[in-house]
Amino acid sequence: MRLKVYWLYWLRMSVMTFSSLISTRLASVLFLSGKLVRISLLLLFLLALKDKITLLAGYNVDQLIIFFLVYNIFDLLGQVFYRGIYWYRSEIISGNFDFTLTKPLNPLFQVLVSHTDWLDIPPLILTVIFLSLKLSSVSLAELLSFLLMGLMAMVLVTAIHIFVAAIGVLTTEVDHAIWIYRDLSQMARFPVDIYIETVRLFLTFVIPIGLIFTFPAKALFGVLSWQWATVAIVFTIGFYLLIIKFWQYALKKYSSASS
Amino acid sequence: MKKYWQIFRISWQNTLVYRLNLVMWRVRLIIDFLTIYWFWWAVFTQYQLIGGYSQVTMLAYLLVASFLRSLVFSNSSYSACVEIANGDLNNYLVRPINYFYNWLARDWADKILNLLFFSVEVVLLVLILKLPLLWPISLGQWLWFILIALVAALMYFFFSFLVSAFSFWYPEHDGWPLRFVMLMFLDFLSGMAFPLDIFPPALLQLFKLLPFSYFIFYPAQVWLGRLSFAETITGFIIMLSWLGLFMLLTKLVWRKGLKIYGAYGR
Repeated sequence: MRLKVYWLYWLRMSVMTFSSLISTRLASVLFLSGKLVRISLLLLFLLALKDKITLLAGYNVDQLIIFFLVYNIFDLLGQVFYRGIYWYRSEIISGNFDFTLTKPLNPLFQVLVSHTDWLDIPPLILTVIFLSLKLSSVSLAELLSFLLMGLMAMVLVTAIHIFVAAIGVLTTEVDHAIWIYRDLSQMARFPVDIYIETVRLFLTFVIPIGLIFTFPAKALFGVLSWQWATVAIVFTIGFYLLIIKFWQYALKKYSSASS
Repeated sequence: MKKYWQIFRISWQNTLVYRLNLVMWRVRLIIDFLTIYWFWWAVFTQYQLIGGYSQVTMLAYLLVASFLRSLVFSNSSYSACVEIANGDLNNYLVRPINYFYNWLARDWADKILNLLFFSVEVVLLVLILKLPLLWPISLGQWLWFILIALVAALMYFFFSFLVSAFSFWYPEHDGWPLRFVMLMFLDFLSGMAFPLDIFPPALLQLFKLLPFSYFIFYPAQVWLGRLSFAETITGFIIMLSWLGLFMLLTKLVWRKGLKIYGAYGR
């Protein structure tokens, strides 16, 4: 029953965001074009590298392209569902977050999904199609492993957005935190294996963008060992629970400024 | 002149009041730089030469590109599109100041602050990452670089204003949609992350037809001394042509824009 309420809330918010998009059609077309330009130009760069390098950290350029496409899938999924975090700061500094807290719905859910970014869906679909065309053969085990790591990736993406929301409650600062995450995540446009060990460990276990973006792609190639897959699952669960605790702590400190 | 100096000072102080914003912005630029640096570092652990660049030349290119990014792209005049879209432009139209000089003064305050931060960052990066430094070898090369970098900054000022002027005709989303598309092109085609001449010659020729490569790629080439005298002159003439065109278009668009300006939101 509760699930139905959440579904209806998400649906209502998504429909409203969609209505807003079609009311400013030219803006939507331009934003969409920008997103497509960004992905296309980086693909062009990778293609240009093709006749200059054969292998990078053991991966050929075609595999680097697949890493980039997988990066885009999880990056875009995070933006499709959790775009609400970009509007959240004004709620906190105006004190309007009080209204969110008094509604009979989980405030975290309201914060994260208040805006569904429909404009990220066309690039997402194109990326999935391109990825399917790029992959020559994937076994069922590799596909299942990819889906499992993909699920872990989405849990981690959710956790990071919750962390940003908690930081927002404590400091009223959201924009920089989310943009720093976005900037750091760009490091995973390429497999994190290419970086020096300290950076690689930082990107795997401190800000786990390696787990979010590189592990699913590795699973797809069948080069992710079961030991690393287990580490990823255990880490994801631990990380998520820790972040939820942090969110609960942050909520207790909410000062309802300006309200 | 005195009033624009005051605007410069106020803008400087204003940025320093919101220090965290500036610091976080610089942190983001450092992350950007490190992302690119580590990528190329990984490439050059396996390869000696990529597109005519050795490891030393490529890393030096990235440093110069980073300097040029702080000089050319640091600006606060992007907010002009917001002012036009929400009607705040009124505040300027009734004052005895030139709107462009006002933004030019504020932009330079922003540029100098960013360059100050950059100078500290670059020392730390060079010391920690042991980055190679390549300097221009002659006084002529220094002078050309300074001149070209300043023209690039001025060129970007007018280019950015043209993008902002879109708000006169389309104030929705505070004029951001067109700027977003332009930023995507700038990120890639200015040569911020990699030198454009690693692309095949046909693509490079195409990129050279666009103004973007003259913001970072071309000035960086002058710094590294990778251009002949004739190529430097040709590039400089093309830059001046773009600058002239942007100035002309800005004048035209400003005049047309003001005629249809509705001060929405006021």
